[in-house]
Amino acid sequence: MELRRNQKHMRWPFYILCWLMLAPAAWGRILLRWTQTDVPPAKALGVTHLVVPWKPDSTSILESARRQGFQLYVQASPDQVPQINAAGQKPITAIVVDIAPAQVAQSSDILEKLRAQYPALKFLLLDPNGKQPEMKGTMVVKRDGVLEITSPTAQPWIDSNVPLVRFEQGFRPEQVPLYTFAWDSSNDLQQQQGPASEDYSLAIAEANALHADLILTLPEEIQRGLVANNTAAWALWKKLIPYLETPSKSENLQPSANIGVVTTDYDSAYEPMNLMARHNIPFHVLPLAKLSASSVAGLSMLLLFATPNAQLATVTSDFASAGGTVVTVALPGPFPWQRAPATRIAEHTTSYAVGKGRVIDLSEPIADPETFAQDVRRLMDQDHVLLSLWNALTTIGIPYRDSRTGATVLELVNYSGESLRVQARVKGSFHAIRLENPERGCCQVIHPAIRDDFTEFVVPQLQVAARARLEKTPQTH
Amino acid sequence: MRCSRHLTALLPLICATQVCAQIASNQPPIHSQKYAMGTVFEIVTYDRANRRASAAINEAFHEIERLDDVMSNYKPQSELSRLNRNAHFHPQAVSRDLYRVIEQSLEYSRLSAGEFDISVGPLVDLWKAQQRGEQAVTPDAENKARECVGFKSIHLLPPNQVEFRSPCLRIDVGGIGKGYAVDRAADILRSQGIHNALINAGGSTVYAMGTPPEKAGWTIELRDPSGTVRPQVVLKDSSVSTSEQTPPALLSERSGGHIIDPQNGGPSKNSGAVSVVAGTATASDALSTTLLLVGPGRGKALISTLRGTAAVWISPDGRVDTVSNGAVIRTWAAPDRSIPLAYSEASSKK
Repeated sequence: MELRRNQKHMRWPFYILCWLMLAPAAWGRILLRWTQTDVPPAKALGVTHLVVPWKPDSTSILESARRQGFQLYVQASPDQVPQINAAGQKPITAIVVDIAPAQVAQSSDILEKLRAQYPALKFLLLDPNGKQPEMKGTMVVKRDGVLEITSPTAQPWIDSNVPLVRFEQGFRPEQVPLYTFAWDSSNDLQQQQGPASEDYSLAIAEANALHADLILTLPEEIQRGLVANNTAAWALWKKLIPYLETPSKSENLQPSANIGVVTTDYDSAYEPMNLMARHNIPFHVLPLAKLSASSVAGLSMLLLFATPNAQLATVTSDFASAGGTVVTVALPGPFPWQRAPATRIAEHTTSYAVGKGRVIDLSEPIADPETFAQDVRRLMDQDHVLLSLWNALTTIGIPYRDSRTGATVLELVNYSGESLRVQARVKGSFHAIRLENPERGCCQVIHPAIRDDFTEFVVPQLQVAARARLEKTPQTH
Repeated sequence: MRCSRHLTALLPLICATQVCAQIASNQPPIHSQKYAMGTVFEIVTYDRANRRASAAINEAFHEIERLDDVMSNYKPQSELSRLNRNAHFHPQAVSRDLYRVIEQSLEYSRLSAGEFDISVGPLVDLWKAQQRGEQAVTPDAENKARECVGFKSIHLLPPNQVEFRSPCLRIDVGGIGKGYAVDRAADILRSQGIHNALINAGGSTVYAMGTPPEKAGWTIELRDPSGTVRPQVVLKDSSVSTSEQTPPALLSERSGGHIIDPQNGGPSKNSGAVSVVAGTATASDALSTTLLLVGPGRGKALISTLRGTAAVWISPDGRVDTVSNGAVIRTWAAPDRSIPLAYSEASSKK
């Protein structure tokens, strides 16, 4: 995580250029990590991207997989790249670079060097810090094995990968976020039996909704079972196919958000981001060094978790002057806005009026990210709330905007696995809604209600995932 | 139901010693969770017949789902929603479950002189909208909502009818419904031959049946907003519930809290958490909300009338108040904060 603690050395001009030249389509894929020598046909699995960890004898796996119709990726450390290059492999789609934790701070430099050294090879950087997406109960291990009751409000806890993907999009815009996670193996039976089909479905659905690339790890028993045509293994896999067949589409979609989280590292902003995601508050991540008038254009709120220098403080102040709301979190001043008298001094905050907007300085780190997230929603002008969901305590909604057509796509993921009737309100007036989901296919027509430039509709049965496409005008067929 | 698994890793949760863990590891617990009533229900049980235990847990979850269909405020076709639409000056026949929940709710309303009130929904909605930043609560709106609140306007007509003698009264059983569902789930487990289990409704209400292997009871660590007191309770055939007011806003002036005091019409100002031990989950659920609203002063008097109960109030700065009428809540605070076990204030009362 050192990279995330210190992004000072990132070369922004280089990345901005890369982004302009290589800006990837905002859609993702499921890549299957495979360790067995044999592999079933890609067509049968419903997956076309296979990731093989590099070993000197990987060539036979690669050959076998190529014959079965896969696009191949090799997962390797930077030190292994010369071997892969020397092995003279038939074209592989990309090398997924595994950076050792000790070298994470230098990952961008390492990647840049590899790209320069091996221009014929394509490299992708893997973020291994994903979480198994899941809804959690409140029974947890604590001191001397006591059950702890952690949640007086009884609301379910959701582990999602929204913060990770938003961070990757902010800090590595040249690449579609690529992440993986380890399955929760906190109990023996789960270790023994591996994840259930619902666990895989949710992981796939979440990655699709995030428009991110996920390397899905399969336990070796399942891999062997699939190769051996084991009935149970294929019964499990067939349950996943509808989710694999509902990938995010290759449209010109960009995540919609009007809040910017400004940070230099993942850890300091992680919990607030996680809770904002949980409360369906869409946000972008902006690296502090990238803060500029253009990067904050279109936003209505900035949350600063890193101290701006004088120049960036001016950008921040100008943003507020133009009507934005800025919240600084435990940052040492002085800042330009603090020269004016405070408009409100509370126990933990000092507020300043700045032009048409305001700055709120929070004096302490965020001890209660749940309250912070709810405060962020309260601070938003109601006209600027992009998304509201009801009956959706276990649902995360992720809105996207098609810049060419003005359409909005709302991806919904339900982490409980129980069918829910979710009500949604989306900013904007949309007269036609088509609903698609893995369980029922495409497409169900939903009738919206439009009120005050907001569109309201109901998703009647949200099982695991759904995608609502909201069009400005009804489509004719 | 999401999964049904034997969680040997849960063993350390239940057994504090290596010896116990060794014994229990021969009989791993079965754990399962399900989302219902806006929360995650979890059941842990020990049973040598794993298949029977899993089937019993499934049945218990089905019962919780069924009760959600009865008591839900969100489902337009729930029995409660229908009652809320139709019972104004028109007696409505309801199921035994809904009748019992309302009946027990009214008992706690009387016990608490109206602090616990299932008709507080209109005020809750009003303040919730403000909390979401949707609209500020105006005195007019508050007064209008208050006119709709009052448990005395709910009339039970035995054996199975309910009438609202108010034009705008609406019931929300959120303060007692999960507890009732937990008790019914426990009944189902017992009827299926399961006698040692823990039922957890999202961490706010936990009911313990029997004991884990080789233990005197199920050890539960309770909510402590101060992080200094470490309250614990060992439960056997009893329940504990915790209520805590939503913390004040950090950034905005609009704040409040999700627990509304029917007496003053606004969010309760009592901060901190209160945990209540009682013989049933219905009782502990209702009492925890009530005791948060009334505070330790009146709360101790109330507990003194209810045998087999205990309560602990913990403020965010670590101040502790406790009362016991038979049940025991332990704390591990510094000596000056330690709580006398089996607090005797109510020991001579019934």
